[in-house]
Amino acid sequence: MDNNTQVQLEAARALVTALESNNEQQAEQQLIILTQSQESDLFQEVGKLTRELHDALNNFDVDARLVDLTENEMPNTRDRLNFVIKTTEDAAHKTLGFIDQTLPLTADLKQTAEKIDESWHRFRMKEMNADEFRLLSKDIEAYLPIVKQHSEQIHANLSAMILTQGFQDITGQVIRQVIDLVGEVENNLVQLVKVAGKHIDNKTKDNKPVDPIKAEGPQINAKDNPDVLNNQDEVDDLLSSLGF
Amino acid sequence: MKILIVDDFSTMRRIIKNLLRDLGFNNTVEADDGLTALPILQAGGIDFLVTDWNMPGMQGIDLLKAVRADEKMATMPVLMVTAETKREQIIVAAQAGVNGYIVKPFTAATLKEKIDKIFERIDS
Repeated sequence: MDNNTQVQLEAARALVTALESNNEQQAEQQLIILTQSQESDLFQEVGKLTRELHDALNNFDVDARLVDLTENEMPNTRDRLNFVIKTTEDAAHKTLGFIDQTLPLTADLKQTAEKIDESWHRFRMKEMNADEFRLLSKDIEAYLPIVKQHSEQIHANLSAMILTQGFQDITGQVIRQVIDLVGEVENNLVQLVKVAGKHIDNKTKDNKPVDPIKAEGPQINAKDNPDVLNNQDEVDDLLSSLGF
Repeated sequence: MKILIVDDFSTMRRIIKNLLRDLGFNNTVEADDGLTALPILQAGGIDFLVTDWNMPGMQGIDLLKAVRADEKMATMPVLMVTAETKREQIIVAAQAGVNGYIVKPFTAATLKEKIDKIFERIDS
């Protein structure tokens, strides 16, 4: 018998005695004691329910956030990552485009310089007649403005290539958002497992066979993985050990 | 010499194409995975295949196996240019009959060295 019941019992007995002896004041006092203990029980019960409701709501929060993550954030993240692919691809093509524009300019400068250099050498060795020299002068005269023009164009192309590298800032920001989101999903899943997964047997781990040659793309932590080779030299060594 | 370059990223195809052009190979065609590469190869006229491994559709390793299984292409030189670096993968590629294996990111010198080696071996 707990303390509260004891108090109630004593108050009930005292109430009966008070009523029998017609002691109104005493009866009223005992009634107050009885209702108070009743209220205290009620409060305790309400408190317990409130706590349970609070926990349930908290868990519901986890669920709701997970639903939101799955329905909204994940597709959004796919879009973001596709944006990263598209942005890096565009930047790479733009850079390659400027390189394609620049290489013929340098080739042209080099070719003409070689030709003039050869003639100039012949002139210095006094192997050149007057007509040939007039031709050389014309070539040099034509070459100098071309050097200026091409250099300006090369400078402009290189500057444009610098600007194109701005993709790193943009994609870096997007990738950071995705990293945050993955962290949040991880936390929520851990919460969910804590709440709902208490009954899940630890032994029921994923025992699916791993395909040893499944394409994985670039290895991020290659140094820590003995199954992964770190560079071209290691690949060459392995191939030569196989008789390549 | 007509070369087929297979990679799902157009930038990588463009890089390889430019490097090959610098090495004197001007005749190149492109495909973005094994499934689009195979009909081009089967149509004939390709002398050399440069392929990535990890691609949607048909992967490079399966393309290599398909090429080796087709008697018309069984001896075609195949160079794999890939970010896949697991020991097991390289062994499987070697067993499937790859002629060279280049790990991304790679240099122009590596590409030249491997291509030279492939043609040395064919010529000898």
